[in-house]
Amino acid sequence: MAESAGVAGAEDSARRPVSRRSSRRDTGTAVLFLLPLFVLVVGLIVYPFYRAVWLSFTDKLVGYPERFIGLRNYIYLFNDDTFRTVVKNSVVFTLGSVALKLLTGLGMALVLHATWRWRNFFRGLFLLPWITSTVIIALTWRWMFDSFPGRGFFNSVLLDLGLLGRPIAFMATPEGAMAAVIVANWWRGFPFFGVSYLAAMQSIPLETYEAASVDGAGSWRRFWHVTLPGLKHIMIVTILLSFIWTINDFNIIYVMTRGGPGTATQVFATYSYDVAFNSLRWGRGVTISLYMVPLLIVGIVLVSRYLLRDKD
Amino acid sequence: MREARLSRRTFLAGAAGASAALAVGSRAAAAPAVKKGTSLRLWILKTYVEPTNKAIEASAKRWAEKHGAAVSVEYFTFEDMQTKYVAAIENKSTPDVGQLETGAPARFAGMGQLLDLTSFSRQIEGEVGKPPANVAPVTVVGGKTYAIPWYIMAGFWYVWHDVLAKAKVKMPSTFDDAVKVAHAVNRPKDNFYGMGHSWNRTSDGYGVMQSLMYSHGVGWANKAGKYQSIKTPRMQQVMKWATDIYKDGIQPADTLTWTGSGNNENFIARNIAQTSNGPSITFALENALAKATDAKERKQREEALANHVALPHLAGPDGRRMWAIAMSFGIFKNSKDPEAAMSLVAHMLSPEETVRVMQDSYGQFAPVLDKARTAAKEYFNKNENYRTFGRAAEWFVPTGWPGPVTAAAAEVQASNVLTDAPAKVIIDKWPIDRAIEFADKKIKEIYDTIGG
Repeated sequence: MAESAGVAGAEDSARRPVSRRSSRRDTGTAVLFLLPLFVLVVGLIVYPFYRAVWLSFTDKLVGYPERFIGLRNYIYLFNDDTFRTVVKNSVVFTLGSVALKLLTGLGMALVLHATWRWRNFFRGLFLLPWITSTVIIALTWRWMFDSFPGRGFFNSVLLDLGLLGRPIAFMATPEGAMAAVIVANWWRGFPFFGVSYLAAMQSIPLETYEAASVDGAGSWRRFWHVTLPGLKHIMIVTILLSFIWTINDFNIIYVMTRGGPGTATQVFATYSYDVAFNSLRWGRGVTISLYMVPLLIVGIVLVSRYLLRDKD
Repeated sequence: MREARLSRRTFLAGAAGASAALAVGSRAAAAPAVKKGTSLRLWILKTYVEPTNKAIEASAKRWAEKHGAAVSVEYFTFEDMQTKYVAAIENKSTPDVGQLETGAPARFAGMGQLLDLTSFSRQIEGEVGKPPANVAPVTVVGGKTYAIPWYIMAGFWYVWHDVLAKAKVKMPSTFDDAVKVAHAVNRPKDNFYGMGHSWNRTSDGYGVMQSLMYSHGVGWANKAGKYQSIKTPRMQQVMKWATDIYKDGIQPADTLTWTGSGNNENFIARNIAQTSNGPSITFALENALAKATDAKERKQREEALANHVALPHLAGPDGRRMWAIAMSFGIFKNSKDPEAAMSLVAHMLSPEETVRVMQDSYGQFAPVLDKARTAAKEYFNKNENYRTFGRAAEWFVPTGWPGPVTAAAAEVQASNVLTDAPAKVIIDKWPIDRAIEFADKKIKEIYDTIGG
C-alpha cells in the first residue's frame, strides 16, 4: 500500500508538470480562440459605447475638437421643450406599436396553431412584412394615408364607396401622423411576435391541454391557464426586444413624416439625427440617444432577473 | 479630336460672345499645373434634373481626359448632403473638390476644412468675372475667400395661368397678392386649392420662410452678422401670413406633411393653383412632353407646359428678397493635389463648360460669374419663364441677411427653427407671440454657443 502510495506519489509528481504544461497550453488555446471575440466585443460594443458616453459629456461640434462640459448637455435637454415632446412621442410610439404587435402576433399564432392546412404557407405569407425593406414599407404606408383622392389608398376607397364626402388628411394632425407611423411599425413587426408565439405554442405538450379539458376547462380557460403561462418567457423576450427596436426606430418615421407635422412624431432617433447631422452638434445629438439607455438597462436587468429567478 | 474641340468652342463662343471667347483663351494660359496621372475626388449635388447631373459629370471627365488625370465623381442629394459631409469631415475623408450650398463655405471654413482660395478667386475673377455683389459674400469668411461661386438654384412662384385667367385675377407679385389669388381660385369641394405651401424640413420650407422674413425686412442677424431679436411687429406679420394660409382653408389639409416633392407633385397634378418651387417643375413638364406617345397626349402636355408660369418669388412690404441655394466649389485641405483641384474648378467655371452644363439644366442652373452670365443670356431668352429663371441672382439674398453668411446663421437654418415656429402655431395652436419667443430663444442660444 505504502509502496503503491509511493509509486502513485511519484507518478503524481511526474504528472504535475505535464498537467501544468497542458493546462497552460489549454489556457493559451482558449485565449487564442476568445481573442477574436474579445476584439470584436471591445471594438464594436465597448469602445463605441464608451466613446458615445464620453461625447455626451462634451460640446463636440462637427469639425472641432471636443471640450468637456460635464452634464451640461443633459441639463440642456432636460429643460428643452422639444426634447420633452420627443420623450412623450417616443413613449407613445413605442408602447402603441409594441402593444399592437403583441395582440396581433398572439392572434396570428392562435389562428395558425389551430390551423393545420396551409399552415406553412400562411406562416411564410405572414412573414412578408418582416422581410420587406423598411423604406418600402414606410413609402407604401405614406401612400396609403395620402389625402388626395386617386392617390391615397384609404381616401380613394372611402370616397368611392360613398362613405366620405371629402378626403381625410390623416397625416396632417399630430394624432393622425402618430397613428400612421404606429400602424406602419406595427405592420412590419407583428410577424416576429406571431412566429415566435407559434413556435412556443407548438412546444406546449398536448397532454396539458387534454388534462385541462378533462378537468372541465373551456377554450378560454385553457388559453388563460395553459397557453399564456406557456408563452410567458417568449412574450417577455419578444416585448423586450421589440421595445428596444421600436424605441430606436428611425427609418419609418424619417421616411413617412420626418418627425412632423411640426415635431408631432419626432422621436429619439430622428431628433438625435437632426441635432447631430443638421445642427452639427454631435455631443448633444449623442446625449439624446443616451438619455434612454438607463431606462433600457433597468428594463433589461429586471427582465433578466425575472427570467433567471423563474428558471431557478 | 482637336478639330472637334475647336468647332465646339467656336460654336459656344458664338453663343457667348466675344467676352466668353476671350475668357477661354486667358483661362487656358493661367490654369494651374496638373501632374499626369493625378486622381481627384469630386462631390457634386444630384438634383431632380437628371440631365444636369450627367452634364456636370461629363464636364469633369473632359477635364480628366484633357490632363491625363482621373476624376471620381460622387453624388450627394439635398437629403444626405449634411450627413455625407459630416461623416467625411469626422473621418478625414473629405473630397478634393466639393460643391457647397449657401451655408457650407462659412460652416466648413470655420472648421478649418477649406483651403483659402483668395488668390485663386482673383485669378478666376480675371478670367470669368466676378459674382454679383449680393452673391459674393456667400463664399467670403473673415475677408478670405473659401469657395468660388458657380450658380444659383432659386425657387420661383409657380402658377397655373389658365386657372387665374378663368377667375379673372392678376398674377401675384407679393405675398399678400398670392393669398388673394388663392381665395379667388379655391375650390375645396373639387379638391382643388388656391395654394400649396409646406413649412417642411427642406429648402421648400426654410427657404421660403427666409424669403418671407427678408421681404418683410426681418432678419435674425444684423449687418455685422451678430444676433438680433426677431421679436418685432414685422415678424408678427410674417408669422400671420405663414399661419393664416393654413387657417383659411386655401391649402390642402395635409400640406404641412409634404416632404421634398409634395408640392411639385400636387402642382403638376393640378391639385393646387400656386406653389413655390425650383425649375424642376418646368423640367418635369418639358420632359413629359418629350415622352408623349400620341397626338392627344402631346396636345394635353403642350397645354400644360404653356399654362405653367414661373413668376419671380413674391415680394413683401420691404422689397423682393429671395433666399436661394448658391452653389460654389470649395477645395478641401485634405486634397492631395490642390493645384489639380484648382485646375478642375477653373475648367468647370469656364463660360464654355458652364454653358454646356446650363443647357442641360432646364433653367435650374443660373450662372453667377459675369462672363458665364453673359454667355447664358441667349439660353435664358427662350421664353418668359426662362427669362425669369435667368434673373435669379438679381433677387438673391443669403442665409442670415442682412449680414454675411456665418456658421451660426447656417445653423439657424439647419436647426429647422424657422419652420418649427409656424408649425407650433398651426399644429400645437400656440399663439404667434409664443412661437416667436420660442424661435428667438433658440436662435439666441445658437449665436451664444457658436459665436456671432
